[in-house]
Amino acid sequence: MDDMNALANEHDAQKGKYMTFKSGNEYFGLKIQYVNEIIGLESITAIPETEDYIKGLINLRGKILPVIDVRLRFKQEPFEYNDRTCIIVINVKDTVVGLIVENIAEVVEIQDENILPPPSIGRADAHNKYVYGIGKVGNAVKLLLDPDKLINDDDLLVAEQASDMNIDEEGEV
Amino acid sequence: MAEEFNVEGMLDVYLFENEQLLEQLQEIVLEQKDADCFDEDSINEIFRAMHTIKGSSGIMMFDNVTAIAHKLEDVFYYIRESHPENVVHEELVEHVLQVVDFITGEMDKIRDGDEADGEPADIIAELDKFLDKIKNGAIAEGQELPEENKHEEPQQFYIAPVANSASRFYKIYINFFPETDMVNVRAYKTVYALKEIAEDLLYEPEDLITDESSVETIQKDGFRILLQAQCSKEDLQGIIKVGYDIESADIYECKAEEFLQGFDFGEQEIQIDLESEVEEIEKKAEENEKDSEKKTAQKPKMNPGDFVIQSKEPGKHKKLAKDKPKNAKDSFISVNVKKMDQLMDLIGELVISESVVLHSPDLKIPGLELSNFNKAASQLSKISTDLQNVIMSMRMMPLTNLFQKMNRTVFDVSRKLGKDIEFEMIGEHTEVDKSIIEHISDPVMHLVRNAVDHGIESNEERAESGKTERGRVTLSAKTEAGKVWISVEDNGKGLDREKILEKAKKQGLLDPTKPESSYEDKEVFQFITLPGFSTNEQVTEYSGRGVGMDVVVQNIQSIGGTLEIESMAGVGSSMILKIPLTLAIIDGIVVETGNSSFVVETGVIKEFVRVTEDMMIHEPTGEEYIMIRGECYPVLRLGEWYGMDDFQREVNQGMMLIFEVEGKTICLFVDRLIGQQEIVVKPIPSYIKKVKGISGCTQLGDGSIALILDPVGLIE
Repeated sequence: MDDMNALANEHDAQKGKYMTFKSGNEYFGLKIQYVNEIIGLESITAIPETEDYIKGLINLRGKILPVIDVRLRFKQEPFEYNDRTCIIVINVKDTVVGLIVENIAEVVEIQDENILPPPSIGRADAHNKYVYGIGKVGNAVKLLLDPDKLINDDDLLVAEQASDMNIDEEGEV
Repeated sequence: MAEEFNVEGMLDVYLFENEQLLEQLQEIVLEQKDADCFDEDSINEIFRAMHTIKGSSGIMMFDNVTAIAHKLEDVFYYIRESHPENVVHEELVEHVLQVVDFITGEMDKIRDGDEADGEPADIIAELDKFLDKIKNGAIAEGQELPEENKHEEPQQFYIAPVANSASRFYKIYINFFPETDMVNVRAYKTVYALKEIAEDLLYEPEDLITDESSVETIQKDGFRILLQAQCSKEDLQGIIKVGYDIESADIYECKAEEFLQGFDFGEQEIQIDLESEVEEIEKKAEENEKDSEKKTAQKPKMNPGDFVIQSKEPGKHKKLAKDKPKNAKDSFISVNVKKMDQLMDLIGELVISESVVLHSPDLKIPGLELSNFNKAASQLSKISTDLQNVIMSMRMMPLTNLFQKMNRTVFDVSRKLGKDIEFEMIGEHTEVDKSIIEHISDPVMHLVRNAVDHGIESNEERAESGKTERGRVTLSAKTEAGKVWISVEDNGKGLDREKILEKAKKQGLLDPTKPESSYEDKEVFQFITLPGFSTNEQVTEYSGRGVGMDVVVQNIQSIGGTLEIESMAGVGSSMILKIPLTLAIIDGIVVETGNSSFVVETGVIKEFVRVTEDMMIHEPTGEEYIMIRGECYPVLRLGEWYGMDDFQREVNQGMMLIFEVEGKTICLFVDRLIGQQEIVVKPIPSYIKKVKGISGCTQLGDGSIALILDPVGLIE
């Protein structure tokens, strides 16, 4: 029982909390339960013939993870990596991916009533589809990201096929 | 929920146990299939295995398995008890294998969640017939039949065994020497020994092991046992030996009623003591009386039946209980592969951290006294290397199982084909990665069948060609040069070079400009590995359909192995598989292009060449070729293919790697060679879609990632 309470508490503690980071001029938010950890930039091994936003592989304590550049994912201008650049390691439905972001901001709490749906009118902005809501924190606004769409989205099918192939291959290997 | 879960667990254990028993059984049977009869140990072993399977299947309510196991148990019971002379050993072997197959089939069904619905009636009827035959033979020879082996439901509750007329009752008093240690354990040992013959057994103090005070009680009052058994007093004296720890053992025979009274004995017992002096006996008798009086006053009565001692069928236990010392079998635990991988990752990490620590720039400060550090560091390196070796060896399994299966195959096939074939196994303890075993099992099976079916001639043909030795198939395994060599050899007719050439010609596989005689044997024999190529005119149950060798070769190639065929007409042929020890670790060459490292499997590299610009041929379309020793190969620049900006463009500054895969050759241009090392293959995360030419990645000693190049993909 205690364990369950502890679990529930932990869940409560994470509820409404968002990890925010800066990319371009905007601040984005990710539900904190998706975030495994934040690491500094590591040396990335590029992979040929992949989408440009997939920067390559990193070695995180023996686990090999793909990393994607969030700016490129949003089809924004690429940026120079520097020592402020971080990798947010997220786990979405057991897919572990590193997100390269310019700058980690802070963890904020946003209540559900302060989250608005994204405006449906206006420019069909490229990154609208990854944004499921707009969170208000004081005067500032954070774009809340759907991590599932962020890493999969239109590449979903491709990714699935790829993973199928990989499974096949693992079987053979 | 809870109940369901329990059943699941039980089922797993049931399947696991039976699988092991069946495997063991098959092994025994095949080991002695060529003997005239089973030796006594094997008979007991088979009997025991069937008995266990019967019991557990009864509990799990798989009635068909229970019934068939029971029947075979009957047969072996009879053989064990009356040693009939007229058993046709081959028939018996076949019956046992039939039963093993049946039960294995049922186990598979159960594992797949299907009903175990196999109908054992036929096999049972056959077994009955067989049993009748040997029994009748026995009667004809005037032997006495042993009592029937009654099928008793497995006993789960204690039922006090009903004493029959042969049962005798004993009261036993044991006194240990006063200074003896751990009398409770010694007393327990005695009880344990008696359990083997006991129909019923009762002792005091009751709690020997967990109750500390039992020591005191035994030392003060002696150790007392009530025993019901079919044995003489001399037998008991044999079991309870008066010796260095037991000072005296007094054994009295008593009546059933007294026995049922428990320890509340009267005074009418007759005392017989063989070892002690008369005075001592009297003294002890008095003590005993006193003690027993005291005890009755203090303790509640105990009756036979208060203890749960599993009784066995009368007459059986002696043989059952005395296990022959088993050949020291290794014990195993099954571990989740994920955990193993995790461990492997962690050890990889450890090695890297170690190198980071040992080469830390802080150590480079001049004037540091490091002798102690260096000593400790070398110790650390040694341990971590050992650790790596251990985890690697954990994935390895001996080929024993696979070889045993082949033994069975040879037995079955040769039987059906009526060929007299001897099967020899060499080096079955060679260890190979578990996943490799899975991959080679089918190919090896195929090769063995081939050898039996059309390698070895029929008995008549052999006689005709004047071969006097028995047909022999040899399956051997050895480790050589980092690979496992598995060879299947036979002393049969060998491959027919002319026939193969003829067939190849018919299928248009021969180069018309090349005379047939210029084909080397090796080349000719390779034809049989092509799809649709079978020289066997008749399609048999086992081979001849022309699908086969090509599948074997494909399977072997998929794990990076090769097949070599050697043959001599009239003398025999041998098929040699050369396969890597493991798939998780490959021997690779690390190369560098730009700032990135790549790994190429050593096996596919034919050679490294330094080339000069004048060897290059440039096509207007941008494609490049290279002329080496009169041969022209296509060239792939790794940096270009990889889309890198910064790489060596001058061919004479870099290095050419010549690959040969599946008969095609390609040159790969890289900046420089780094070295050769064993690498642990890791899959590319599934998030990244599959890239042609890359088969995985690995972690290098400095923690950086290198991509493993897949030459087959590169050629495409």
